[in-house]
Amino acid sequence: MTATARTAVLGTCILFTAATPLAGQDEPVRWQRRTAATQSPVTVFHSTQTANLPTAETIERGELEIEISHRFLPTLSDGSGALWGLDGPVFNRLGLSVGFTDRLMVGLVRSNLDDNLDLNAKVRVGEGRAGAVSFMLGLAGGIALNTGVEAFEGLEDNETQAWALGIVNVLLGDGVALGVLPGYLYNPRLADIVPEHNLSVGLAGQVYLSDLTSLFGEWNLSRERADLEHQAGAFGFELETGGHFFKILLTNTVRLNPSQYLGGTPFEFGTDQWRLGFNVTRLLHL
Amino acid sequence: MNLRSVFSRAVHLLLAGAPAMALPVGAQEYQVNLEANRLVRFVSQTTLDEFEGVTDQVDGYVLLDSERLSQDTGRGHTELYFEVDLGSLETGIGLRNRHMRANYLETDRYPYAVYSGELKGVSVTETGFSVTARGTLSIHGIDRPAEVPCRVSPVQDGYRVTCAFQVLLSDYDIEIPKVMFLKLANDIDLDVDFMVRPAGGSE
Repeated sequence: MTATARTAVLGTCILFTAATPLAGQDEPVRWQRRTAATQSPVTVFHSTQTANLPTAETIERGELEIEISHRFLPTLSDGSGALWGLDGPVFNRLGLSVGFTDRLMVGLVRSNLDDNLDLNAKVRVGEGRAGAVSFMLGLAGGIALNTGVEAFEGLEDNETQAWALGIVNVLLGDGVALGVLPGYLYNPRLADIVPEHNLSVGLAGQVYLSDLTSLFGEWNLSRERADLEHQAGAFGFELETGGHFFKILLTNTVRLNPSQYLGGTPFEFGTDQWRLGFNVTRLLHL
Repeated sequence: MNLRSVFSRAVHLLLAGAPAMALPVGAQEYQVNLEANRLVRFVSQTTLDEFEGVTDQVDGYVLLDSERLSQDTGRGHTELYFEVDLGSLETGIGLRNRHMRANYLETDRYPYAVYSGELKGVSVTETGFSVTARGTLSIHGIDRPAEVPCRVSPVQDGYRVTCAFQVLLSDYDIEIPKVMFLKLANDIDLDVDFMVRPAGGSE
């Protein structure tokens, strides 16, 4: 650069510097984003349960979850004469759960099978993401009282049950949720005078077809015992809206509450033993 | 490099920097006061259902062409920019929050609703000012021109700003599934309430 050129550049810079005050105490906008955007929370299963098995998902603090579920006793194979089971009789379950925190929900559910009244709690222990895989961990447990078994001799002292489940849920990609639930059940068979202990492993899966629809299935590995010779399974279709889950399913059990379901079922999992059922849950805010 | 090209480059640099650096005399930037109450609320009302979503995650600035707001504000250069963190919207039901984030607003791709523009029309009222902002509202990756009326009242060294307006979800390519159409309205009422204070104040 020549001396003349340097002089020109220097002069321009001086002009620039000198001109700035003439424009006032001007400076560019100083605002900069001060907080990062909120990250979407981890979601694996959208609902708090598949057919019967709980997921690690919990309702939020101040939310209510109201449930009405039915399992029709006649089988699908009974055909049109029994309206494919819809004529009944039917076993039902009514439930109400409350979100005490965003991670702890407490519920009271009643099944009219043995008048099983179950007080339960579920804690979402943790969740995270690792690449395309999301996971969620939870613990659930409850105590059940079976007030409808008093007619059997000697059972007055054996109407209480208790259960606990560990819940491991994993989401693969955007649309396949899987669950493994090691479980323990105290007193699976009310007809026994001396309570037994039952260990089980629940398996659950759900494939999300769209934002609102999905297919689900579950299976509970349990030990064979009298009147509960078979393992319980279910599969069905789920529709979710902003405040509801609607599930329609086929299953080989009518035992709805956890202390009933975890112990097994008297019905084999075969097409001639499939029974219709549905779950409807409604979410509300206190 | 000859003298002409050197001088030309220097002038070019000077002029290119000028618009960003030089603002009118007395211009004042105000920023959203993060220590004060802030509220952004939307209301969806249909025959079957009504619900609202709220967040306090609104931030941004307004640049006035004067130190304080007056009926003469807006005759010079003004700027405003506000953004709302859509992922923080809370409707009271977790499932509905998730649907809103994932299905409708797609907040992973479009985390903010942004309004940017300028002030047009300031009039004095009994409690402060009535202000009209003219600019662009960006939601879900779609930009739409939007004129927003606001009330502005002096508070200490800044102002309280309250605005109410309506947006149509269909204007922003937010599709309402048929199964939901009776529960989620297309026309959404929006209320915004926050305070601004001079930039560089205690934060």
